[in-house]
Amino acid sequence: MPRFEINTRRLINGSLSFIALAAIMALFFAYRSHALHLIPHKVPVSTAQLPYYAFCSFYRMLAAYIIALIFSIIYGMAAGRSRHYERILIPAIDIAQSVPVVGFFPAAVYFFVALAHGSRLGVEMAAVFLIFTSQAWNMALGVYEAIKTIPEDSRVALDTFGARGWLKFKRLLLPASVPKLVYNSILSWVAGWYFLIACEIITVGPASYRLPGLGSFLWEAAEKGRSFDIAAGLLTLLAIIVLMDMVVWQPLSTWAEKFKYEFAASSGAVQSLGMFDALSGVGPAVTRALRSILLPPLRMIGRALDALPSGPQLTPEQSKRLGAIVRTLILSTIVIFTTWALARGFVALIRTLSQPWPADAKQIPEAIVLSTIRMTIAYAISLAWTVPCALAASENPRFNRILSPVAEIVGSMPATALFPLIVIFVIEITGGMNLASILLILTGMQWYLLFNLLAGINQVPEDLKEAARAFGLSRVARWRKLILPAVTPSLITGSITAWGGGWNALIVSEYFVYKNHTYQVLGIGALLDAATYGKSNNGVMILLSLLSMIAVVLLLNRLMWRPLYNLATERYRLDY
Amino acid sequence: MAFLELKHISKSFALSKGTLQVLNDISFDVGEGEFVAIVGPSGCGKSTLLRIINGIVPMTSGQVLYRGRQVDGINLECALVFQSFALLPWLSVKANVELGLEAQGLPLAEREKRASVYIDKVGLDGFEEAYPRELSGGMKQRVGLARALVVEPKVLMMDEPFSALDALTAITLREELLDIWQSPDMPVKNIILVTHIIEEAIELADRIIVMATGPGRVVKDIKVELPRPRDRRTEAFNTLTDQVFSLIEERG
Repeated sequence: MPRFEINTRRLINGSLSFIALAAIMALFFAYRSHALHLIPHKVPVSTAQLPYYAFCSFYRMLAAYIIALIFSIIYGMAAGRSRHYERILIPAIDIAQSVPVVGFFPAAVYFFVALAHGSRLGVEMAAVFLIFTSQAWNMALGVYEAIKTIPEDSRVALDTFGARGWLKFKRLLLPASVPKLVYNSILSWVAGWYFLIACEIITVGPASYRLPGLGSFLWEAAEKGRSFDIAAGLLTLLAIIVLMDMVVWQPLSTWAEKFKYEFAASSGAVQSLGMFDALSGVGPAVTRALRSILLPPLRMIGRALDALPSGPQLTPEQSKRLGAIVRTLILSTIVIFTTWALARGFVALIRTLSQPWPADAKQIPEAIVLSTIRMTIAYAISLAWTVPCALAASENPRFNRILSPVAEIVGSMPATALFPLIVIFVIEITGGMNLASILLILTGMQWYLLFNLLAGINQVPEDLKEAARAFGLSRVARWRKLILPAVTPSLITGSITAWGGGWNALIVSEYFVYKNHTYQVLGIGALLDAATYGKSNNGVMILLSLLSMIAVVLLLNRLMWRPLYNLATERYRLDY
Repeated sequence: MAFLELKHISKSFALSKGTLQVLNDISFDVGEGEFVAIVGPSGCGKSTLLRIINGIVPMTSGQVLYRGRQVDGINLECALVFQSFALLPWLSVKANVELGLEAQGLPLAEREKRASVYIDKVGLDGFEEAYPRELSGGMKQRVGLARALVVEPKVLMMDEPFSALDALTAITLREELLDIWQSPDMPVKNIILVTHIIEEAIELADRIIVMATGPGRVVKDIKVELPRPRDRRTEAFNTLTDQVFSLIEERG
């Protein structure tokens, strides 16, 4: 019987990790003293420069993704293969995921600009770092899960042959991770676009420096009221996303099927939902062309690698000893570095917090309550339309076939790209900042719910649906007895991700500067932004609002979402 | 000195409440060239015992001597055939078979040559480039067999190798296994077969170790003296089947 309980040890662990996190944050903020000497950089809007801006955005994404890919493989393998690492690395992901990445951007900018000796490169590095943090965690978790679910027999089969190290990685661990890596890469790119555009929209510090890219292009165009440029910018973004899907993700998903363990041909399997079926001929053609260019040299390299004897022949003892030495070296470096960072961060934390607190600090509790109310309203609106949609999709396969790809394409458009439009629309017409804020949060929440619900619907076994029909259950009874319980775990997962997305959206949705006028409502996001980008530029206030926000996120996760999730997966899991 | 000696092997797992003893004081010898079957009800720890002999699973106490020496860790002169086949779905038949050779660090040309010899031997000629998911259960197990044989092990370890196959396929594969074992150019002389199918053990093995459950232990060591090929419809075969069956049933 699942129990709804609060574990005290978990709470202590949680508080300790929160303090560690606060110290790390403070460490980043300690670099604020290095004033930003960036030349104010206004993005000149000209349609001709659009390709350049698109390229800027794309290479930032690509750089971040490549780092995230390498990181997630190493991290996931370490966590999946060693119980010791697992105990530290998996909870660490949990904590890292609860940091609203957008709120962390200014801190990252200060840190990297200081690192790059005040050059503009620092801002680029901060953006890449930020996108990386939005991409890496779910990919690392994917690799970890893949490693953990490798069938025991496959592992033993390689062990009996004495396969170790590189061979084991190449033949077993990496291939087994491919399906989850590809799936999570797609999600990571969606998340990455969202944060990339957010980074480009945000102006950095008093210097009001904006990264050149699609985000800043769109915002400038909106401020200047050039609707042609807005449309061109949005279309370019859409084109990049659709092209990526057709040329990269669709073929990769098909290819990844090869690496799945299920042998039996599953009937009615959830096929990858292609965007734009009408264009489906183009994708394969482009892919074929790319393959014929790229594959032969790759294959030759692969052959050459295969032909090489697999390294110097070490005895098991020698390789074990070598492995131990390498591991100790890496581990001690990490431990020393982490200890140093924590110690310095702790000092910085105390130093910052011991400064006089600004009067605004008293507003934090009220701001948190108001922000949470906005989030709840946005969540309620999301639920109100996604649940009926999902139920309708479960009743009507044709609707499902239309809804899924449409939702996929709309959902993979970064909502932040639409921010300028929404802001203009709501502010110019209604002047209601509260409404704008809720709408913006909604854009960061709703798709996660819809996707998870649709995935849940598609996983309800046909047998069960047939059984429900065969026993003559009415439509409402079918929903109550079968569909809703079966999608409950997906609903909870979707809600957790939606709230995560919402907190991020919150930061860019309660405060913005439009045509030299600052629009804001009272909320924790606005307090954070005002402290960061406003005239006060108050370090204590930035840290306080960011930390209280993280504390709320962590508390909600621990006290509400985690227990709910455990309850849902235990009671409503479909593994009969 | 026996080829393989098991001395007082015990195995227990730590549980949250106390320990679970899986194997208790198991001792027997296997002679050079012997085909031994380990038979017992499910849960008697026979698969665990096989993995202990192979060195994949550590024992709690006891000793396994291989040619008089104690082997630390995995015994690379053993090769395992699995009930689940345990083929890697992303590798072709050929690449799956080459796996053990790759681990030995053999050059590509040598690997390919040897793999093709054993793929022919198990009758999969022409399927080198196929993927496991394209093969029937029987063919998958042929790949599993080729993968084990290609490293030319001294002992072939088989863990319920025919239990996941349909009855007719299993009959064919048993016959082929005997042919392979008896053919003079095959280096494998020792086979240890774990099975819960009594007739399978009697049909194939020189000796049957009968195990009982709770905790797993040896209750009888039976020499099968019937001449090969063994016909299931003879009286001697049936008498032996009944004998083993009642041994298992008594203690079950």
